[in-house]
Amino acid sequence: MTRRGGATVSAEADPLSPSPSELRRWGLDPSWSRRVTFPDVDGGQLNWHVLDTGPGPKGTIVCVHGNPTWGYLWRDVLATLSPGWRVIAVDQTGMGYSQRPGPRHLGQRVDELVRFCRQEVDGPVVLAAHDWGGPIAGGAAAQLDVRALVLANTALALPEGVRVPPLIAAARSLSDLICRRTPLFVAGSAAMTDRAHRAALRAPYRSSTRRAAIAEFVADIPVRPGDRSSTDLARSAAALDALTCPVLILWGARDPVFHDRFLRDLRRRVPHARVERFADAGHLVCLDEPVGAVIASWLDRSLQAPNVAADAARGDETAAPPLRSVLAALDEHRDDPSLVYQGPDGSLTWSDLAERSSVAAWVLQASGLHPGDRVSLLTPPGVELLVAAMAVWKAGGACVVADASAGLVQLRRLIRGAAPSIVIGTASTLTAARLGRFAPGARLAAFASKPGVIDLHTAPREGAFVPVEFRADDEAAVVHTSGATGPAKPVRYSHGALAAQRDTLANLWDIEPGDAFTTSFGPFMLLAPVIAMGFVRPDFDVDKPSELTFDALAAAARQARVTTAWLSPAAAQTVAGTAGGRHLALGLVLLAGAPIPTSLVERIQEITEGEVRTPYGMTECLPITDGVDPLRRGPFAGTCTGRPLANCVVDIVALDDPRSPSLGDGAWGEILVSAPWMFDGYDARWSADSETSIDRDGRRFHRTGDVGYLAEGVLFQLGRAAHVLRTACGPVTSVGVEEPVAEALGRPVAAVAVGPAGTSVIALVLGGEGDLRLAPGSLASRARAASSHQIAAVLEGRLPTDRRHQSKVDRTGLAKSVSRFLAGR
Amino acid sequence: MRILVTGASSLLGRHVALQLAERGDVVTCFQRSDSGTGLAQVRGDVRDADALASAADGHDAVVHLAALVAPRATWSDAYGVNVTGTVNAQRAASRCGRFVHVSTPSVAFRNTAAVGAGADSSTYSGRDVYARSKAVAERLVLEEMDVPTVVVRPHLVWGPGDTQLVGRIIERARQRRLVVPDHGRALIDTTYVDDAAAAIVAALDRAVPGSEACAKAWVVTGSDPRPVIDLLSGILGAAGLESSIRSVPGPLAGLAGRAVDRFWRDDEPPFTYFAVRQLSVAHWFDQREVQRVLDWTPRVSVDEGLRRLAQWFRPPGHEITG
Repeated sequence: MTRRGGATVSAEADPLSPSPSELRRWGLDPSWSRRVTFPDVDGGQLNWHVLDTGPGPKGTIVCVHGNPTWGYLWRDVLATLSPGWRVIAVDQTGMGYSQRPGPRHLGQRVDELVRFCRQEVDGPVVLAAHDWGGPIAGGAAAQLDVRALVLANTALALPEGVRVPPLIAAARSLSDLICRRTPLFVAGSAAMTDRAHRAALRAPYRSSTRRAAIAEFVADIPVRPGDRSSTDLARSAAALDALTCPVLILWGARDPVFHDRFLRDLRRRVPHARVERFADAGHLVCLDEPVGAVIASWLDRSLQAPNVAADAARGDETAAPPLRSVLAALDEHRDDPSLVYQGPDGSLTWSDLAERSSVAAWVLQASGLHPGDRVSLLTPPGVELLVAAMAVWKAGGACVVADASAGLVQLRRLIRGAAPSIVIGTASTLTAARLGRFAPGARLAAFASKPGVIDLHTAPREGAFVPVEFRADDEAAVVHTSGATGPAKPVRYSHGALAAQRDTLANLWDIEPGDAFTTSFGPFMLLAPVIAMGFVRPDFDVDKPSELTFDALAAAARQARVTTAWLSPAAAQTVAGTAGGRHLALGLVLLAGAPIPTSLVERIQEITEGEVRTPYGMTECLPITDGVDPLRRGPFAGTCTGRPLANCVVDIVALDDPRSPSLGDGAWGEILVSAPWMFDGYDARWSADSETSIDRDGRRFHRTGDVGYLAEGVLFQLGRAAHVLRTACGPVTSVGVEEPVAEALGRPVAAVAVGPAGTSVIALVLGGEGDLRLAPGSLASRARAASSHQIAAVLEGRLPTDRRHQSKVDRTGLAKSVSRFLAGR
Repeated sequence: MRILVTGASSLLGRHVALQLAERGDVVTCFQRSDSGTGLAQVRGDVRDADALASAADGHDAVVHLAALVAPRATWSDAYGVNVTGTVNAQRAASRCGRFVHVSTPSVAFRNTAAVGAGADSSTYSGRDVYARSKAVAERLVLEEMDVPTVVVRPHLVWGPGDTQLVGRIIERARQRRLVVPDHGRALIDTTYVDDAAAAIVAALDRAVPGSEACAKAWVVTGSDPRPVIDLLSGILGAAGLESSIRSVPGPLAGLAGRAVDRFWRDDEPPFTYFAVRQLSVAHWFDQREVQRVLDWTPRVSVDEGLRRLAQWFRPPGHEITG
């Protein structure tokens, strides 16, 4: 059985291949394992072990592992992409089960990969590389005909301001001890992923002689300019910079070595790269996540589409229309002594804002902020947030706005994901950011002088501020979806989109000079200096919208000529609940976050004696409709959101089929939107982007995930597509089931699906107090009688709402509890 | 078509025989007592292979409904009627050309919830004597097919004249002994007798060579699952009885059921563990495939069925007063 010591092993340095039973145990097909001999640079022969799935019609993918792993790393890619693709996962020289002839440098490894590919692959190749396989594949890409490149948690240079990762530094200085004599480095790396992978990762590195190359690999990492392989690394980086083929970057966010700043560096080098960032995966992302499926669909899409880099280049040539910058209004008002902001933390005049933001922008620039860099704003809504945001834009940066109401854990996750170069905050938020490692490698800044923190108050002593011009497609902001309807996603906005949003809102609001607005949504205050309107912040905790009382709103409205209030449903509920018969004149009240109960619209109308509108919109595109006539009844159920705005296209398409033709007037389906002011895409979420970004007749649409219908040009919303009840009689909207019953019984009702999609039955939950229970027979009969649908069960109990908006019924959670309840026990 | 229907004195058997006769088929009923259908009949026991074979002589199909439904029957009684009787019916059918065997979803009931479960499940369980004997019979049928055969598993059949489900519920309620686990919250699918009979007739029509329906067991239900309590109080309401249903915690009911199974030795027990579990957990089914394959859809909702039941209890002009 074993070949150990047998005559079949000729050279003592030539390692054994893994046995078929071992391979099977590790989830690898034993027939994939084979040995390849190819000529070395100095005339000798090299013997590599590879996992090769054999011919595939789509082409060949060569996978290059890093240190200290081996071909096993690509297990999911091998299994998922074959047999369509031929996948070859190589073990590099001295690594895995390949020959161990002695030390190798980066340049040699690049050369070996090129020779291997030339011998084994006919025609163009797709390269995939992880960790230090990245520079090797990058270098080889310059010499091979590469169709596409996949990179996973790798680096080609240290990002500016980032030090050598401490783990690498330690491994380097004690390389012999950590990497060769003891299996510490191998064990440490294997410990970064699921326990199930450990045996396979450690198997080829069981003795110190078999680990020699691991130490040499670490020693070869150039950290100083004079290091032996630094020129080769620079050459690989340059090759990557010049690459025009499609590139996909897979990123495990929980990597103690390559954190998100390394990802930012890669994205800057390859702007056309698509990125899929896995928030919960670690360094060994290829083992932690089903990356094979992502690579497969990305390859299918990007190889049939025209070359992305060429597209980007074409985009550069076409002259963008002249952009009226988001800073234009601030510039025009730079000498205006009137107030742009009033709030519990003080007030700010236009001229103050212009002056202070210019100073801060200069400081940011002098501290090394480059155009396109991201700056995280951890200042609570108020004077400092306004100054900071305007300063970041003046310095050419992009603002990262994360909502603190989501909680510290979520906040850290969002900021880490955005990988800002600088974090602007207050004493307490900066402490949290520093201790919680919110932004590894980022510098901290504040409007105060503190040691180790950039002081945004004090202009630099020398030099001068160089104004930055930005173009329409430059990134302006990264905001986040609420997470009320799924995990929070980072949303990128360009300057062009923000400018278009400003123009649309200005048009909608009919602003007169001196008008001011107020809102319960914290970050919306950034609109004030952009749209040339004053802003008054009511005195309440913006992280708790349901604490905005009538008195706080009235006090705010007294401070200036507040004509417009933009309220979340939760805030509006509280305002209405605390009004106690009093009135507050407001010209326009916008209630965002449909569906808004009609009773709430009526109460707010009565209190404000103004116009109440419920425009449709979402983090990705806001606003979409004018929100006029919120009490209008449609031919079917649903909330009236008004007519789509000028330049905004709303399409209704069949559920689950976003590429189908538009449905006619009155037919419900998923809502697709397209507007010049919509977002650019999700940040580092290629899968989410490719699922929600739909090209229809050359126009980019966003799949909203909402369902609704158009009637006589008016858009009615029917809730979320995820809440559609997929019964055996076809899909039914939850809102369509709920409305007639709620009206008949005069109490809130939620309709949820029980059972597998496609054959589920409908259960109604009548809102009330206490735990879920069956409604009494007479009540159940009344509910059934009010509905034209077959209702399996009628329950009563408290309706759970999401934490953020405190208004939307958490139907997904409710469906789970109802299903559990009706399953019995 | 000339069709022999066994077990035609039961609620479902009677409806099958009448539906067939109504559409013009020539029906012979086969059972021990009088079928009450007014159709041609042969009195006999399905355990008697010769009697069954000669009764089937000259027919084109056998629809086999005869069964012993008693939770605490002895195994030999249950085996005799439900297994031997089925083997005899299948042998008789093999000379006729078609066979429809009426089984029950409880052959697959595992004491756990079935929520939108697939309708052509081929797993067997058999948690009490009845379910076990029916499981053995169904497996034998599907293993030994000489002629096109379809197995139908109607789920909880009820309707006017039902002595099994409706009769027992009313009897319990009159004795003030009607108890449900956990307020009767489990979602359960039932089949109104007309729909169950129509499904069996449809299965007979699909018992032809090359049909997708053949050689499989199909759960059929009314596709209108309701919480147990809705069904029970609905039936009591239809019978004009006031609802006096008590609730016990599910786990406690389960324990009591186990105790009864273990110690109750004399007459028919008040309940069994199997019965408790059937009332404690959901069981309803995905009917899309069976409806397509049999080209059949249920027409009577639970509410409509209860209206008909109420009418049957109180025919117009016969209002119960006092």
